This record gives sequence, C-alpha cells and structure tokens, in this order.
Amino acid sequence: MLLAGGQGSRLMALTRKVAKPAVPFGGKYRIIDFPLSNCVNSGIDTVGVLTQYQPLELNAYIGNGQPWDLDRSDGGVHILPPYVQEGDKGTWYKGTANAIYQNLSFLEQYDPEYVLILSGDHIYKMDYSEMLLHHRQTKAACTISVMEVPMAEASRFGIMNVDENDRIYEFEEKPKKPRSNLASMGIYIFTWSKLREYLIADEADEKSANDFGKNIIPAMLDAGETMSAYRFSGYWKDVGTIDSLWDANMDMLSADGGFNLYDPDWPIYARAAAQPPHFTGANAEITHSIVTSGCGIYGKVENSVLFHSVTVEEGAQVRYSILMPGTVVKAGAVVEYTIVAERGSIGAGAHVGSAPTGGEDWGITVVAQEVRVGSGSLVPAKAMVTRNVKGVKI
Amino acid sequence: MNDLHGIIFAYRQNPDLRELAQRRNTCSIPYGGRYRLVDFALSNLVNAGVSDVGLIVHTSYQSLLDHVGSGKDWDLSRKHGGLRILPPFGFSGMHQSGHYRGRMDALAGVYSYLQNIRQDHVVLTSGDLAANLPIAEAFEQHLQSGADITALCTPVSQADPRMTNYFTLDSGGAVTDILVSPPVPKGDASLETYILSKALLLNLVDRCAAHDIPSFSQGVLLAARGRLKLRGYRFDGYAARIQSVAGYFQRSMELLDPQVRASLFRPGRPIKTKDQSNPSTYYGPEARSANSLISDGCIIEGTVVNSILSRGVRVEKGARVENCILMQRTSIQSDAVLRYAITDKNVRVCPGRMLMGHGTYPLVIAKNEIV
Repeated sequence: MLLAGGQGSRLMALTRKVAKPAVPFGGKYRIIDFPLSNCVNSGIDTVGVLTQYQPLELNAYIGNGQPWDLDRSDGGVHILPPYVQEGDKGTWYKGTANAIYQNLSFLEQYDPEYVLILSGDHIYKMDYSEMLLHHRQTKAACTISVMEVPMAEASRFGIMNVDENDRIYEFEEKPKKPRSNLASMGIYIFTWSKLREYLIADEADEKSANDFGKNIIPAMLDAGETMSAYRFSGYWKDVGTIDSLWDANMDMLSADGGFNLYDPDWPIYARAAAQPPHFTGANAEITHSIVTSGCGIYGKVENSVLFHSVTVEEGAQVRYSILMPGTVVKAGAVVEYTIVAERGSIGAGAHVGSAPTGGEDWGITVVAQEVRVGSGSLVPAKAMVTRNVKGVKI
Repeated sequence: MNDLHGIIFAYRQNPDLRELAQRRNTCSIPYGGRYRLVDFALSNLVNAGVSDVGLIVHTSYQSLLDHVGSGKDWDLSRKHGGLRILPPFGFSGMHQSGHYRGRMDALAGVYSYLQNIRQDHVVLTSGDLAANLPIAEAFEQHLQSGADITALCTPVSQADPRMTNYFTLDSGGAVTDILVSPPVPKGDASLETYILSKALLLNLVDRCAAHDIPSFSQGVLLAARGRLKLRGYRFDGYAARIQSVAGYFQRSMELLDPQVRASLFRPGRPIKTKDQSNPSTYYGPEARSANSLISDGCIIEGTVVNSILSRGVRVEKGARVENCILMQRTSIQSDAVLRYAITDKNVRVCPGRMLMGHGTYPLVIAKNEIV
C-alpha cells in the first residue's frame, strides 16, 4: 500500500498542480517510480496506490501499470482515492492510518498474509522480500525499516529504541534528546490480522490523529506486540524539500553518490515519452550531467539533470540545475542552481539563480510549471517564480 | 472502428546488408539510435488509427519477434485484432516450397488470414522503410478519389532504382505510367505502400496464384494498367529505404540534419519503439559530444563526433568515435579510436584499438564480436 496522497507543500511551486509522488526526478522518472519499481523487483504483484491531493497527473501516469508490469489480471496496480460511503460516511483521508482503514475492504478482497506500507516520496532501492523474511523470522506483528543517521541529526527523525535483538521497545517522534540513531524510514510490514485489529481500534478512538507514527505504532508497543527493526544501509533520501530534491537529483550524477541508476539487476521503471534520441549540436559542451531523449543541446551544460525534450540553445549555459520535461533555455541565457518545472521557458540573455554565496539569503531558485522568464531578466537566488516574468530590452 | 487494416511485409532478405542482416531480418535493423526499422511502419499504421496489423515474416525473424513482442509498445496488444505475427508455416497451401518469391506469394501464404480481415480496406506497407507517412490522409484521399489502388510515392528518392518502382502521375494524381526496377529512374519513386479494398486484394491474390505470378509489381501494378484506377499519393517528407550497408550508413547520417529529423519525428505522429527502461545518458567530466544523436542509457566519458548511438552504449575515457553508428550496448573502451565504423549489438572494442572504414565502405563489426 503506497501512500501517495500527500501534497508535499514544502516543495512549494513544484506541487501546485501535481502530487509530490508525481514530481519528476532523476532525468527519466517520477518520485513514485522508485517505491513502485522496488515493489516489482521484490516480487510484489499487487499494489494499492492511495491518492488524494491533485491526483489527475499521478493517475494518468500510473494508468494500467504497464511500465511496471503491474497490468495483471490477478492483482496489479490499483488507484485508491477516498470515496463516498454508505450514509455519507466517507471522508477525506484524515491521516496515514485512516487512509489504510478506509481501504480495509480492498485489502480484504485479497486477504493477504502481510501488508507492506510505503510512502511515495523517498528515493532508494530496497528488496522488500528480505525485509519480509526478517519479519517472518522474528515472528513480529510489525517490522519497521530503520537506518542509522548521524546522532546530531537524529532529532529530525522518528527514532526507534531497540534491544540487543533489534526488537523495538520505544518509539520517539523527533526526540529532543535522542537515545538512539535508528531512524524510521516510513516503511512498515504488518501481519495483516494485527494491522486490521489496530486500525479498527484506532478509528474508534476519536482523539487519535489516525497516523501510523503517532498512533498505531505507539499503540502496538503499549500492547506489547512484537515490533522488530529491520536495518537498512544504502542510499535513502527523503525528497520532501526543494533542497533535498535538488541534492538527490545531483546524487544521480555519479554512481559514487551511492545510487546507481545503470544497475541492470535493479532497474527503475518509468513510463517513458516516445521521443527520439537527444541531439548534441556542433558547439555543445556537456559535462558531468545526464541528458534524456528528445533534448536538443547546443549550449553548455554542466553538473545538471535534463529531463526529456529540453532545449538548450547556442550560447546558453546551464549549471547545477534541474530542467524538467519541455524546458527551453534560449540563446545566451544562464541558468544556475535552479529547478525549472515542466515546460518552463527561460528567455534569451536571462540570468536565473546564482552560485552559493554562503549567506542566509542564498537558496535554490525554482521556476514553476509553464512559467516564462522573459529575455534579459534577472531572477535572484532562492526566488520562487510562479508567474511569468516580463522581459527587458537588451 | 477504423476501416483500414494494416499488413507489413517483413520477409525480405537483402544480401547487400552483409553483417547487419546476417542474423536478423532487414526490418529489425537498428536505425536512428533507439529504433528498429519496423517501428516506422508500425507507428505509421497506429498513428493512422489502424488497430489490426498483420506482420508477414519468413526467415531470421527471431530478433523481430523479440522486438515487437505482443505489440503493446504500439498499443497493438488487444483483445480483438491488434498485432498478428504471420510466420510462413501458419497455413497449409501450395506455396510452402522455400522462400516467398514476392509479395503476392507472401499474401497467398497467409490467405486465410486475409479472408478474416474485419475491415473493408487494407494498407500494404513495407517494414524496411523509415518514413513518417500520413497514412490517414492517404486513406482519406483514396476514399474520395474512388481509386482502386492508391500508391504512396515520393518525388525525392535516393533508393536504388534497380530495386524500386516508379510512377508517372498526371496533374490529377492518376498514374499514367509505371516503371518496374528500371535502370534509370523516371517519375515518383514508390514507397511500397498501397491502399486498396479487401475484396480487390483477395481477388488479386487469387488471380496471381492462379497464374503463378509471385510479384506485386508484375501481378498487380503492370497488370492493372488500363484495367484498374491507380492513383498516387505524393509524400514529400523524408523517406529512407535501407538496401545496402553504404546506403544504411548514408541514410543514418542524414539524421544529423535537423530538417530530416523534423520530418521523421513529428509531435503529432510519434514513432514508438520497444521500451527498455533505460535511465538517461550520462556525460562524464571529460566527455565531448558534437553533432551526434545519442539514445538513453549511454555512458559517455570520451569523445563522440558526427555519430549515432543506440541505447546503453559506453564510450570510455580517451576513446574517440567519429562518423560511427554504435548499436545497443556497444562498448568502446579507453583510448580506442573508431572512424566510419558500424558496430552491431554488444560489440566490444578493447582499449587502444583503432578501427577505420570509409564513408563509401563503412567497416561493419558483427553482433557480439570483440575487437
């Protein structure tokens, strides 16, 4: 069960029209491709995707699930939006636990032994079948995937305190004084009968926030259920903010960054656009960057991630930036430390973003979907451009 | 339902293609980086709303089957209709001795398939033609003009005249003369794409079988003069027929011209191909790529100039690739130099090797070879 209903408000302009899991990532993908591909690569063939905020693009993207081999006659991918129930009982999803609760009848249809609960906004590769093996071996009611984070940062996470057998005895949400550095990755495996029992009890509690981290996990710990921590080491990144999204995209530029997109044993699947190969002009200069089909590169591209159908005209320069599908950078423009969302346009001679200054007021610049930055205009660092910017005569 | 049925001829063997067609059918030769030739015919039909397509194959079709699969990448995997692969031994008949001698022979070989076609009209096309054909418009013209057969043709053609038919059109588009494989071309070159009714097609197949005429040119085009209304539909976009290694090389290099690409890859009529889930292409810190067409999934750390790279190609540090066509998963290792070479799938060129052909005789390295 993939939780994909969040707005991702910290991605600001990037999630005005799409849910966070549908935000483009890594040249060819959207964020949801990572958990979805992990499912398929782990041998999971029935996936529910819970949607709520701006679902249209996400629904269209997932479609019948064909790119992930999830177009099946038995199982496959199911989009699960909130719906009206008998006697007007249906509501929006109130919390992560409530979202699953509202889909109990979906789960009952399949009556699984175990349920895997994932969030749709993390970049990582993980074999859930190994986590399931761990869950079965420890005979746990719930297994939570954890990873070690630097102690100094531990207070930003949900922290698991475990005994010597990695059995969880305490969970602390963003503790001021963390006693362990094992952070929850928001990946849970539940034994279905237990999950069902606690979801029903949680729903009956009117004071509950209906959230896994805040309510379900503490309730299970209080009741003395076997809760096991599954240790994960490897690349894992929450891409919930502009900075972390930019960072994680930059990580895709080198396999040394810990994530290898070119590994044939663990492919990440995506619904790909039917575009011809990209073309590099006679004066193109592309270094330490990734470029996708349909692009036309005539200028200079460094340390950047270019999605499909991006044009970088002659004399334009793109540095440390992320250009989402259909972006056009006109002649002589400079784009640096910037995320340009789908079909954005940067006018000739414009200068968008700037190199880090170390100052407080520096940040990644964002140009929202379909926004046109006029020729010759100057867009400073950390700007969030959501409306067209008028050009100036040069 | 669209009233047009598609049949793609994909049985032709062509010895002039040497190593490229050694283990595969001409139609599954990689072209334009990420495509196989057959992608153009399939996409043209699908873009015209054709929902049922028969693909006639005869020999060396393993690679073709591998590529088209169930047809799902072209939305041709359907409950009714969709893509049907028509191998030679699917039907018992009198034409099963050896190779198809021509298109009428091939059609006779799949006769019962033809009888079951659900549509009233059929478009016959060739799987080795790279062009973005407006088949929907040609069909429209066919219906309005009342022609018996509409032949798609082009005034600009670099095809080998000895392997091509030519039509002379009058100002109204009617065919006034037909030349079959002439020594000197005259008129519009045939694009080997014809639209006619199912009833006429069956009739023609019957007649040719009864007279043992295997060739479409002989049995239909030449025999039609004065008897059938034959009209041309003139297409002036880019069209490439792949008939020899040198021709393949030239037609490929023409793709580096933006106008050719604009004609072949149109936003409203996309050319679809098998999805391989490749990531984007990575350029290393010392990479250089100029005037080249590069598919997804490549890792480029050396220099690539005037070249076309298929998916998953690697060019290591210090390697230099000029005027080359590198097919899927070719690996050019460090400091190797290649000029005017075509490397087939999975070729590996070891560090420091130097390989050079010429524009008129490109060096071809066969599939899976290690240099």
